[in-house]
Amino acid sequence: MLQIEIDHLNKHYVGFHALKDINIAIKQGSFVALVGPSGCGKSTLLRTLAGLEKISSGDVRIAGTSVVGKPPRERDVAMVFQSYALYPHMDVERNMNYSMRLKRRPKDEISERTRAAADTLGLGGLLDRLPKALSGGQRQRVAMGRAIVRNPKVFLFDEPLSNLDAALRVHMRGEIRKLHERLQATSVYVTHDQVEAMTMADHVVVMRSGVVEQQGSPLDLYDHPGNKFVAGFIGSPAMNFLPATAEADGKIVFNKDSTQSIQSNFHIEAGRKLWVGMRPEHLSLHASSNDVAIDAVVTGIESTGSMTFVVLDVADQPVIMAHSGRPGNGKGEKVRLHISADNLHLFDYETELAITSTRTT
Amino acid sequence: MQGIMRTIRDGSGFDILLLGLALIYLITFSAFPIIYNIIMSLQTVDMFTITSFNRPFVGLQNYYDIFSQPIAGSVFWNTLKFVVLSIVFQLSIGFGLALFFQQDFPGATYLRGLFLAGWIMPALVVGAIWKWLFAGDFGVINYALTALGLADERIFWLSDPDVTLYAVIIANVWLGIPFNMLLLSVGLASIPRDVYEAAELDGAGPFERFRSITLPLMRAQLGAVISLGVIFTLQQFDLIAALTQGGPADSSNVAQYWSWQLSFQTYEISLGSAVSVLMIIFVIIVAAVYVRSTRHEHSY
Repeated sequence: MLQIEIDHLNKHYVGFHALKDINIAIKQGSFVALVGPSGCGKSTLLRTLAGLEKISSGDVRIAGTSVVGKPPRERDVAMVFQSYALYPHMDVERNMNYSMRLKRRPKDEISERTRAAADTLGLGGLLDRLPKALSGGQRQRVAMGRAIVRNPKVFLFDEPLSNLDAALRVHMRGEIRKLHERLQATSVYVTHDQVEAMTMADHVVVMRSGVVEQQGSPLDLYDHPGNKFVAGFIGSPAMNFLPATAEADGKIVFNKDSTQSIQSNFHIEAGRKLWVGMRPEHLSLHASSNDVAIDAVVTGIESTGSMTFVVLDVADQPVIMAHSGRPGNGKGEKVRLHISADNLHLFDYETELAITSTRTT
Repeated sequence: MQGIMRTIRDGSGFDILLLGLALIYLITFSAFPIIYNIIMSLQTVDMFTITSFNRPFVGLQNYYDIFSQPIAGSVFWNTLKFVVLSIVFQLSIGFGLALFFQQDFPGATYLRGLFLAGWIMPALVVGAIWKWLFAGDFGVINYALTALGLADERIFWLSDPDVTLYAVIIANVWLGIPFNMLLLSVGLASIPRDVYEAAELDGAGPFERFRSITLPLMRAQLGAVISLGVIFTLQQFDLIAALTQGGPADSSNVAQYWSWQLSFQTYEISLGSAVSVLMIIFVIIVAAVYVRSTRHEHSY
């Protein structure tokens, strides 16, 4: 069953087309991440779902009913804000049960549901504190608690973890995911952090400049990026791109160094200009079957302890290789880089769209 | 001596110097006049003893004399009406305008700026203009009221003892609105927008948002504006001087103007001092309330 349907949605500001023909269908109970660089329109899209922004054209349906023109309070959605937006003059308990007090629910029900949500989030001992007496992580939990007690049709998250420090962020990531699995409510989660999107969501929507570039399951986006932008945005460190030109029989020659070529398993017409995409984690210094090899020079080593990022020069372009160990190579050393032919991504040079249909198996 | 040299060398004497200058200023221009005034209110001061500090002490006789004056009751009653009505209307109209200009519409900031015009004008000039507006025979207010059928005959705003106080209050409200609007606008602007959005999502309509978000978060600013409004209204002298001089027959006389009349028109200086001491006590109480209210300021 579809819980949210976004249908040919457009949003214009004066002289600015913020959201361009957005179509997204979200299943009941799924966790959807809207991800993209700042200014891509992901927060605006979330705010149109909440009813905080008017849409210019198109339709938004929640649980099958159009919500266009409806104020936020008639949509049965709860939102967790980036700044948490707690009511500074209300203690934790009153922050959390404000919505129920507005609806004049019976006192027993209010205190029972507040207590239950507080216990879920580990806020039990803080109910009489004012927000200013809470840490960032605690405020974040209160903001979530305020959403949970409402038991809404849809949860909206607007970069809820971006104000937390790194360790807490990873922790809360797991907490939110766990909470989602328990409540089974539909969640839409805005983030600029692709790792957050990949680890938390069942369905990822990648946006750029008000356009949905691609949507699908996290691994689908990773394995089959539809264009160069998505390929570069999903995955960390980012995919390496080298400009190249196709020759006959799937042979590809790098533009900056015509002595370097690789044999791909694509059928592409000779002379077509391309981008060759290679993920850092797919590159290796060791040969294996069905791989292609490229000459490279080591120009830098960045070690994180568990991983080592080797910066190389391939055909006059920087290329990063992720190595899950400690390679013994030094700067200036000449090496052979290996990558499985199946892990090569090709994109048209002009349109930047992925070249897929002609791959031979 | 060595200690003093060290403080100077370390620069730690500089804070004492700054503190000292501020203290000297306060003592010379605030503490001394207030104390001198209190002393005068306990003495018999007239034109012959004004130049000498050695005057007979009379205890609270001056205060007793003040309250036994026939006009004392009406002056204090007028002062109460003047303060309360001025504050009520300045605050409600100012708050209303602040809320109005908080809405996002084209030109909102420019229009808000225009309201400040009233604030930068000297009260004496404002009084002169209102005197024309209120004029019984040719005033534009009477013209408008009769033309619109709101009044059957002309109202003699500045000479009818039943209305003079209200005329002064109307002019004072006009003068105080920009100040109220500006301070409350600043307070409103400091409430984060997403707190309202969160309330909207929680199901609060416009009235509920005002009642449960705006009002409690504006508590400190409202306290400040009311306290400062009381103080400014008790200071309001120029407007009364320009409009009615407290007349006719003291119908628009208020404490601050009466105090001036006693001290500088009839030269009953000790009585004038006594009135001003009573006002100081009242202002100190209001100021204490104001200081308390600023403690409730919220951080976001």
